[in-house]
Amino acid sequence: MSDRKTERLINLTLALLATKRYLKKSEILSNVAGYEGTQEAKERMFERDKDDLRSLGIEIEVGDLDIFFEDEPGYRIPQKSYELNVPNLSGRELALLSIASSFWNDSVLGPNAQSGIRKLQSLGIPATLEFEFRMKYRFDNPSELLEQIAKAILQKSRIKFAYDSSSLKLRQLEPYRIVFWNSYWYLIGMDVDRKAIRLFKLSRFLGAIETSKRKNEFEIPSDFTVADHLPKSDVEVIHSSKIEIRRETGALLRQRGKRLSQGSEYDTYVINYENERIFLRELIWHGVNVRILEPVNLKEELLAIVDGVLA
Amino acid sequence: MSESALDRTARALDLVPYLLEHQGISIAELAQVFGVSEKQINDDLILIHMCGLPGYTPLELIEMYYEDGYVTVSDPQSLKKPRSMTSSEITSLLVSLDLLKSVRSDSIADEIEALKIKLKSSLSFENPYVVVVDSKNSEMVEKIEAAIVKGNALKIVYLSGQKDETTERLILPLEIYQANSNTYLNAWCQTSMGDRTFRVDRILSFETSSGDEISYTPTTQQHKGGISNIELVVSKAARHFIEENRAIIESVEDGDVFQVKLHPIDVEWLIRTIIGFGSGIQVAAPKVLANEIQERARAIRALY
Repeated sequence: MSDRKTERLINLTLALLATKRYLKKSEILSNVAGYEGTQEAKERMFERDKDDLRSLGIEIEVGDLDIFFEDEPGYRIPQKSYELNVPNLSGRELALLSIASSFWNDSVLGPNAQSGIRKLQSLGIPATLEFEFRMKYRFDNPSELLEQIAKAILQKSRIKFAYDSSSLKLRQLEPYRIVFWNSYWYLIGMDVDRKAIRLFKLSRFLGAIETSKRKNEFEIPSDFTVADHLPKSDVEVIHSSKIEIRRETGALLRQRGKRLSQGSEYDTYVINYENERIFLRELIWHGVNVRILEPVNLKEELLAIVDGVLA
Repeated sequence: MSESALDRTARALDLVPYLLEHQGISIAELAQVFGVSEKQINDDLILIHMCGLPGYTPLELIEMYYEDGYVTVSDPQSLKKPRSMTSSEITSLLVSLDLLKSVRSDSIADEIEALKIKLKSSLSFENPYVVVVDSKNSEMVEKIEAAIVKGNALKIVYLSGQKDETTERLILPLEIYQANSNTYLNAWCQTSMGDRTFRVDRILSFETSSGDEISYTPTTQQHKGGISNIELVVSKAARHFIEENRAIIESVEDGDVFQVKLHPIDVEWLIRTIIGFGSGIQVAAPKVLANEIQERARAIRALY
């Protein structure tokens, strides 16, 4: 069944693509292989097929035929819109794209990038092997939500989602941009209830997103920039801690820190950190060889983690 | 779960122009490129074979040959060119390029930006994705990559992630990757005689080493010892052999085909791999290896 439909869709595409003039519906139904049954059944089939091809992004042009053909509409697929055209793409650029597209071992962007690159590789551009790039990207934090959010951004539709935070759980947002930052996906948008632009981490979204049926519900302000809404990576976010490190240990921490004093068993260091979570892991990794003196909240967080293990 | 007729149609429409530019490609590689099973590709090809233009005589059908697992298209009818990219495909590629830029040195940044503009020209909307570059240590990365490509060994001073101590190690770098804001290096560690993962920011210093002391073999199978001066002729269609096995490749000469010289390696692994590429890889030297491969292939053939 699926075979027959696939075959018919391919035949229809081929026929509409090959024709210079518009093909009458009656011509299509009688000449393109696969249209069977009563006239009514064939027509229903054809209507569905057109919708299906359009959903694949294929443009089917409807045109008026010569007046001698009565008022039956005609159809064709314009080659210009069907065929991929990236002017002056070089082999070197294709190689760069291949490398880039192979980064995604996960997330919805992977298959999309792969099918895009396949099309580019079908253009007959001689590929090169000139790059020595070996670095890959591995995503430990894929998100299933990207595609849906991207669509909402493009349509300018509001979204609703549940968010894992201490205060407001249910959010209504005008989504502006999806941001990949520090190995995580974020969403920046106008929080409708709070009337302020906010940053959300996709890994903290709870469950599904609901996209509004309406389009063009909002405008992205012309002066909006992503950088304005990311936590600043300078003074504001860098925290300072006071840590005791056992002698002869913690070389990595020592390297980053500033020694305040030396003791018989422990040395005391001031160590700055940006990401509390990562820093805590690092500290815990050192086991009994490091001890947090300040700040108190960092100590509490560490204890909470350790307690979590014990619980 | 069976896939929809629509997904299959999309793949078939992409398969034909891809085949046209990759004549003589193996079904195995097609399966890999399109991310489906070989059986699926086979089924697709049989289906495509029956499609064509109204009239549907042999002259109007898509004409292709497949023999011994290799496919050639001689008449694609109206499917000569690939379909234009969907907006999801373009935006995914744009994000990929941003990501590439974020881990590469600035020297290539302009080129990537120019390429993005080329792709964007076919985009009728703004890109919903933004990649923010955080810190990068591209200089170290590039040196390690060069070592991977050339198959050089490295002598490193490493701040252990396991024992909180610095050690000196001789390693053969194999694979480098970025994950969770860190850069990692997978390598054969001669010092500990095993595969190890290193965090690049914990490599305190390194120097290139001749690698004479390295005894790495990319397999745990039984092996007959390394053979040196292996030369292969790799077809364009089999180029991923080169891409995936950089660690064992000494040099590549590009032309109609790739002339590939290998480092001395365990041949058992190589033999088995080469046979899998069919006509895509020919052994130019040494003769014994070519013979051995012939013999193995014959033995396989004799099973049928």
